[in-house]
Amino acid sequence: MILSNTQKSFAAKSNSYFILLIFLIIPLTTNYCQLTTDNNFFSPYNRLKFGNYLYKDKDYLRAAKEFKEYLKVYSNDTVQFKFSNSFFKIGRFTEAADNFKGLFFSSTLSEEARLMFFESNFFQNDFNKFRNLADQDVYLSLKYRKEIERLKFTTYFFDIATLPAENIILEPFPDSVQSQIAKFYIQKKIPLHKNPTTAAILSTLLPGAGKIYTGEVGDGITALVTTALSAYLAYTNFNAGHQFRGWLFAGMTAFFYGGNIYGSAASAQIYNARIRFDFDKEVKFYFEQRNYFLPQIDL
Amino acid sequence: MKTRLTAIFFCFLLFNIVNGQENLQTQLNYANGFFNSKQYYDAVTEYKRLLFFDSTKIYQYGANFKIGESYKAGAKFDDAIKYFSFAELNARNDDEIFETKTEIIRTNILRRTTERALQLCDDLEKDERFNAKVDTINYWRGWAFMLSDNWKSAARSFARINPNHELKLLAERTDKAKVSVTFAKVISYILPGAGAIYSGNFLSGLMSLGWNTLAGYWTINSFIEKRAFDGIVVGELLWLRFYRGAIQNAENFAIEKNLEISNKSLRFLQNEYKGTKL
Amino acid sequence: MFLLGSFCFAQTDWVKWESQQVSYELPAHQHHDYTIDKSGFGLSIISVARNAYYFFVSDLDGDNCAFLPSCSTFYIQAIKETSIFKGTLMFADRFTRDINFFKGLSHYPLLSTNKFLDPAYNYTLHSAKIKL
Repeated sequence: MILSNTQKSFAAKSNSYFILLIFLIIPLTTNYCQLTTDNNFFSPYNRLKFGNYLYKDKDYLRAAKEFKEYLKVYSNDTVQFKFSNSFFKIGRFTEAADNFKGLFFSSTLSEEARLMFFESNFFQNDFNKFRNLADQDVYLSLKYRKEIERLKFTTYFFDIATLPAENIILEPFPDSVQSQIAKFYIQKKIPLHKNPTTAAILSTLLPGAGKIYTGEVGDGITALVTTALSAYLAYTNFNAGHQFRGWLFAGMTAFFYGGNIYGSAASAQIYNARIRFDFDKEVKFYFEQRNYFLPQIDL
Repeated sequence: MKTRLTAIFFCFLLFNIVNGQENLQTQLNYANGFFNSKQYYDAVTEYKRLLFFDSTKIYQYGANFKIGESYKAGAKFDDAIKYFSFAELNARNDDEIFETKTEIIRTNILRRTTERALQLCDDLEKDERFNAKVDTINYWRGWAFMLSDNWKSAARSFARINPNHELKLLAERTDKAKVSVTFAKVISYILPGAGAIYSGNFLSGLMSLGWNTLAGYWTINSFIEKRAFDGIVVGELLWLRFYRGAIQNAENFAIEKNLEISNKSLRFLQNEYKGTKL
Repeated sequence: MFLLGSFCFAQTDWVKWESQQVSYELPAHQHHDYTIDKSGFGLSIISVARNAYYFFVSDLDGDNCAFLPSCSTFYIQAIKETSIFKGTLMFADRFTRDINFFKGLSHYPLLSTNKFLDPAYNYTLHSAKIKL
């Protein structure tokens, strides 16, 4: 009996301990709840959570806004990187470059930010500026030095700057693609152009010859036929004493003859433009396929 | 003692849930605010936020539907259809399913993917759940026909709702006002320029007739005067050219006139019609 | 750029957009542009002559030119881009190319209207102006 009494009092005691424990735990759980399922959807924590979801869903403009709000309160390298990368992904390369710059110093992502800074500049299509930046040591990345150098030499295929020596351009590219890059180099250095002056001179000597030289055989033959026919008609009309008709056809002959000389030069230029256009397309496709030999960086 | 404790604990949990519910409701109102003031881009953001934090899943239908409506208002029809489809997946009853399906049909009509809209109308009509809603289906089918310039079929669809339906009468009027393209062409073969006059372009028709008479006279005259070469050249380069031109013009004028008639009715639908629009 | 390849659904929202009303109307046909060019005396005279040509001939003899812009419009564009002399040479060349029965074998881009795109700016002898 005595024993059972002590048992009871012990049970009562343990009950009161239990209550105490519960009341101790409740405030803790509420705190925890607030941390995880914070009811304010616009708190920095929830902004980040929602931003990350949008970022993953490729809804970059909206994600950038959420990250921006988060970064107003906290500083975080990863978030800053994602914020900058959002601009990069939607093609706002100037803003992307500016924001990546903010991670250059005393940041865990400094190297990656430097690479992305160069990528952002590359896609702005101002290749002269890009090469100037790549030559400045303060921007360079130790980890991605090779990647940036490759990007720099790639720019020579995209604009009209004077090409450096072949071995310099080839050096940073992997061995497996060197022969292809060398092919591009030769195509860029010595394009198979047609000379507009030659085309014009050929057409002066024989109507249509310049057009045939630029590959427009049909146009060349048409020019020859129209010029010859109107010249013949002018000749026969003058012979027959039809002065007006004679001059009319003579005028037409001059019209076709002159037009063809001009057109041959223009045709050569268009031919050259097409060579350039096709080359640019091929090079762009080649590098795009290989992601410009860049590593995928996404956090 | 234990029961009391459990009760306290559940009360606390319930409070947390209710509190969360309230927040979701506030967020919904916030998003609706953007929607109602036609700031559709921001509305989409806020509905997306609502969907993201809605662990109870009770807003899945409504918010997705609203996102669809926002995209539709921004003329981003592909996205609109995507979100209406999400809403359909989360619909809780047949009415909600019907609502999303008709929205998808209306968006298809606006996107000018008429074939798809008509296909969806047919599917909906075959569905036994929606037997009572056949009028609504016919209504949107009529709209699909009207926006694809098929007024005869449109009139037929509206007549199935009501033989004196306002839109049936409009579609019928529009169809009757149109000229016949084939007739315009055929009479131009017989008398160049007649087709243009039939479609209301008198000056052009008369000038066509003039050119054809003149060129025809020159051609025939050349042959009579035994200048066969001249005759062939004039006939080929002038007469045939203007003769062909008159037929082409007759067709174009008739098509254009019909287009203007259709557009007049479509303008009425967009600006003055009082009933439910797309 | 390579980003284009990865464009996907979210692309719609990569630029902030506004509400936009879509017209119910069907697209109307294109007509000849009869406006008179007032940027110079010569051009005004030529555009009046072109309008007369449109009114008395071109609008009546059907659709004959395989190119876009048509030969007459090309002529006006050529004169505007260069001078009356050079423009006439350009027109003479275009006219010859139009007579060519086998122009389909050339590199002209084919438009959805079944016409060959052949704008005047490609023939001014300034290679920077050429767009393919």
